[in-house]
Amino acid sequence: MKVIAWLAGLGTLLAGAIYMVVSLNRWEWNRALFFGLIVLIAEVGLATGLVLRRVAKLEYSLKLSAEERAIRGILRETRPPSPDRFAWLQESARGLNVFITFLVGGGVLISGVAWIVDRVASRTSSPAGEERLSRQLGSISYPSGGLLLDDITVLAQEVPGANDDQIRQLLRRGGRR
Amino acid sequence: MKKLSPGRIVLGSIGFAIGIIGVLSLREATLSTHQAVASRGTEIVVSARTHGGERGQTLGEMVEAQLLTCRLEVTSDFGGSIEPEQVGEGRFRARLVPGLDETNRRQFRGCVEDFMIDHLQIDVVEMTQIT
Repeated sequence: MKVIAWLAGLGTLLAGAIYMVVSLNRWEWNRALFFGLIVLIAEVGLATGLVLRRVAKLEYSLKLSAEERAIRGILRETRPPSPDRFAWLQESARGLNVFITFLVGGGVLISGVAWIVDRVASRTSSPAGEERLSRQLGSISYPSGGLLLDDITVLAQEVPGANDDQIRQLLRRGGRR
Repeated sequence: MKKLSPGRIVLGSIGFAIGIIGVLSLREATLSTHQAVASRGTEIVVSARTHGGERGQTLGEMVEAQLLTCRLEVTSDFGGSIEPEQVGEGRFRARLVPGLDETNRRQFRGCVEDFMIDHLQIDVVEMTQIT
């Protein structure tokens, strides 16, 4: 509310002064006088407001008795200092209190290195390398016919003396005995 | 005493210069400098309106009173009929002889558009020189 009042006073003062000059420039003396009066009123109002504000401050400080002033002085002197949140930055780096900082910083650095390694590694695969790898993996690949047993192999297990554990295991998984 | 920094001195000098220029400009704008005029007269058309005026007074009377008052500020007089001729709704025409010079035109226009008579507002619509 006070801010609005101050702004209104200042705005009135400025607008009145501008219109006063404009009216003077146009040879409109009565208008110039009228706006000059507005400027004067606004000026007096603002000056009164400033003086009253200063007087209120003085009055507040004078209202305190000697005892209250003494108490206020004691309170001021014994006021705890405001905590320095970043004091640890001024201490030695060997202290444990910088551990978190190094940990976070180290994490950032390690993440950066890991990202670089990942980017480099993604560039190492080439068509020739993939072909060589496929050849190497060929020896351990699944059989071309898949892992399903054909009827001949299944029937062969019925022959007395045939005992292939691997084929029997596959037959059990397939629900056949 | 507080020491003045170069920035403050520059700002103060700029403000001082602006103030001086403003005052000189205002003085120049409000200074009467009359010259001889070749024109035979100056025709003026005004638009007038009233709000809350006295019952017994017409708009024409009020306009006439203000124009006669303002005529006293310049060196010309109304040619022909003193009463301004009504040319439209709220519009009046008058002729001043001899013609007004630049300063008188500004002065007369300022006077006519000023707050002279209560409840009356006049705007100058046209001001032409008659050769």
